[in-house]
Amino acid sequence: MELHTGLSFSVLCIQILVGLSKATILFIVASGLTLILGVLRIPNLAHGSLYMIGAFTTYSIATVFSQSSLGFWMALLLAPLLVALIGLIMEQGLFRFLYKRDHLMMLLFTFSFTLVFGDLVKLVWGSDYRSLAVPEIFQGSLSLLGMPFPRYNLFLLLLGPVFAAGLWFLTNRTLLGKVSRAAAVDREMVGAVGINVNRIYAAVFVLGCYLAGIGGALVAPTQNISQGMDHSIIIEIFLIVIIGGLGNVWGALLGAVIFGLTDAIGILVAPQFGIIFPYLAVITVLIFRPKGLLKSIW
Amino acid sequence: MIFGVFGKKSLPLLVLFLVALIFLPYAAPRFYIYLASVILVTGLLATSLNLVLGYGGLYQFHHAVFYGIGAYTTGLMLTKTSLPAWVAFASAPVAAAFFGLLIGLICARLSSLHFGMLQISLGSLIWAIVYRWYDFTGGDDGIHGIPVPEAMSTTTSSYYFILAITTLCLLLMFIIIKSPFGRILQALRDNPERCEAIGVNITRHRIIAMVIAALFAGAAGSLFVTLEGSVFPELLSWTLSLEILIMCLLGGWFTFFGPMLGACLIISLRTFAGNYTEYWTLILGLMMMLTIFFLPKGVFGFVNELFRSKAPDLPLEESSHVAD
Amino acid sequence: MLQIRSLRKSFDGFQAVTEANLSVNPGEVVAVIGPNGAGKTTLFNLVSGQIRPDSGSVRFKGEDVYGLSPHQLCRKGMSRSFQIVKIFSRMSVFENVQTAVISRMKKTSNLFIPAHNIAVKETEAILEAMGLIDKRDSICGLLSHGDQKVLEMAISLGSDPQLLILDEPTAGMSGEETARTIDLMKHLSRQMGLTILFCEHDVELVFSFADRIMVMQQGSTITQGTPDQVRNDPQVKKAYLGGHD
Repeated sequence: MELHTGLSFSVLCIQILVGLSKATILFIVASGLTLILGVLRIPNLAHGSLYMIGAFTTYSIATVFSQSSLGFWMALLLAPLLVALIGLIMEQGLFRFLYKRDHLMMLLFTFSFTLVFGDLVKLVWGSDYRSLAVPEIFQGSLSLLGMPFPRYNLFLLLLGPVFAAGLWFLTNRTLLGKVSRAAAVDREMVGAVGINVNRIYAAVFVLGCYLAGIGGALVAPTQNISQGMDHSIIIEIFLIVIIGGLGNVWGALLGAVIFGLTDAIGILVAPQFGIIFPYLAVITVLIFRPKGLLKSIW
Repeated sequence: MIFGVFGKKSLPLLVLFLVALIFLPYAAPRFYIYLASVILVTGLLATSLNLVLGYGGLYQFHHAVFYGIGAYTTGLMLTKTSLPAWVAFASAPVAAAFFGLLIGLICARLSSLHFGMLQISLGSLIWAIVYRWYDFTGGDDGIHGIPVPEAMSTTTSSYYFILAITTLCLLLMFIIIKSPFGRILQALRDNPERCEAIGVNITRHRIIAMVIAALFAGAAGSLFVTLEGSVFPELLSWTLSLEILIMCLLGGWFTFFGPMLGACLIISLRTFAGNYTEYWTLILGLMMMLTIFFLPKGVFGFVNELFRSKAPDLPLEESSHVAD
Repeated sequence: MLQIRSLRKSFDGFQAVTEANLSVNPGEVVAVIGPNGAGKTTLFNLVSGQIRPDSGSVRFKGEDVYGLSPHQLCRKGMSRSFQIVKIFSRMSVFENVQTAVISRMKKTSNLFIPAHNIAVKETEAILEAMGLIDKRDSICGLLSHGDQKVLEMAISLGSDPQLLILDEPTAGMSGEETARTIDLMKHLSRQMGLTILFCEHDVELVFSFADRIMVMQQGSTITQGTPDQVRNDPQVKKAYLGGHD
């Protein structure tokens, strides 16, 4: 096990920023999951698959435009919409009938979607992995503290707070947001007041899926788009949601930051076992605050 | 509800079935013997999960960890030490039970989803360590060419070994379920608050249950080594954990043999559907969806209900949980 | 046998129990009454350990039992039944009571003997006393509500307690079932010498049956005493009849 001593300050800073930029994507996807979990009480294991579909779709759309910048923006616009549409079909066609079932059943039901989507992706895109070039505007690096920092990561880094603010606005200032929060706490009351709870549920689910799609679209230029993406991300975002507090969007942000940072620092400090650090952080949080760091809906 | 449809009268049926299994190698080609071995090992693993899941009501979401630990223990001991083979095999359940105790001590205070998630984190941690510790565990390659003892190195001989151990383990688990501890375990599933009120220390009993389940999972792991002669990190993956969860669901988690049936169904599906199409997971996913939609008690449970007076249709979790 | 002084509990700022005092002497039948929301069930939860109090003292058989968990209290001789029935719905009536007996006998970690043979006689005796013996093999999730409440009581008897705490034992019962339950309670008190603490909505019932009564309102004890004392207490009249007099 190699331990890097004598880390320079700038290397550490850059690595932290890299970690935070990755955390943006984790946050966006996790926020979708936490909304679905908080309002609909569905532990949506298929969230990772939707993320993966978002990434593959982004690849395809961008490739139609020869992977140019225009292609990327088109993909960023359209891919999440497609994922949201899939989500709508899932909710209206199937989930709608299962809300009364217990959580374990819902978990396994969403898992069956993981299996189905996994094979569908294989059917459409084959088993090989794909790569998407970083769009032209974001190619290359800036010089920060004397070290290179990829422009795309900067883009992600700046996007994070934008999404956080947007989601805050959505959940606290819009009618949909307020009603959803009420429905999360007491579905029957909201129904009794005359609001169509089914529509709320559908809207929140579709929004959650849309966020998964965006996450997939954003991650597409940064790594290989492969079959196993769904499996690797789903555990991460579930843990993020749990440590943040179920149903809590700020919690998802906090969790994502913790996860991203510990991952980045871990890789720097102990490259072989760096992957362990986020799990250790999660376990530590859960031992002391099993319900999560921030207030959870449950 | 143990024997399901058949009741006590099914005992001769079971014996008959066992005899059939004993004579299988004389009647069937090698591939089917191998397949039967795989089903037995996986079925044993699934049954050990059901001990805490179906009978105990615990959301044991990362049971495969104990299986993997058992397999790696046996594999490592056979490869790296010159201890006699029986030690290597006996250590697997012990090591797994030890980890069951550790994880139990950390998780058992919590209930349902929180319990499941903490267990997944702990399990993922162990997986990550195994995955990266190249020098010791072989990392993502795993360990291959494990020197399995002569006596169980052929398909047929390993089959008999697996059959013997699996039968023994199932018998032990059955006895445990029928014992006072088993009764309390089911009571804990049905109404933990009531259990506390009659003097049961919930956390302690949950930990014991987890240790027992881990022990049998570890045994299954050691059997896996004779099957394949290698071990790899996938044995500790949460996807495997979910797969065995599905086997319990599909087969019926309120019955003893449900998980074994579920294992049989899924492995057969994987093997035979795999011959016709690459996309057998798609079929499995669809089957699962249909089962959950229409048969909430699993296949075995459904058949059960057709023929017997029913137990009330209750969800797995009661709405009353002890405050954490 | 049971001494409660100045017990307090609040939830998120809401004072559920502010100043509860109660004493129960061995062999007595003591009832707690009060309007809805007075804190009766919370008080019972505090006494039997389901909830931790904020402050106050609880002494059982002379011992300080403040903050102990339900299973510890059960071992000390306190047993309780719940207002909303908590039974093992998938098991039979016999198995329900037997489980409580098995727990009392501390055989819960026993792995290798069959459970169905343990303490059969004792379990059957309890079922006989409670009038449930002919339903012994019925799956209790399918019983009528009244029978389930009786089963609740039977399960708590399985722990062989000295103090039996019953939370609204006749709630939701028909007149006939209520009378039967009261008879059972009388039998438990007089023939079996159990000390009983219960709470009830039906005030008439309570006055006819209890040795002593404690009246609660808005989380605190207004008064404790014999039925006559309580009947004539001006504070109680005010609590039940409102302000007009």
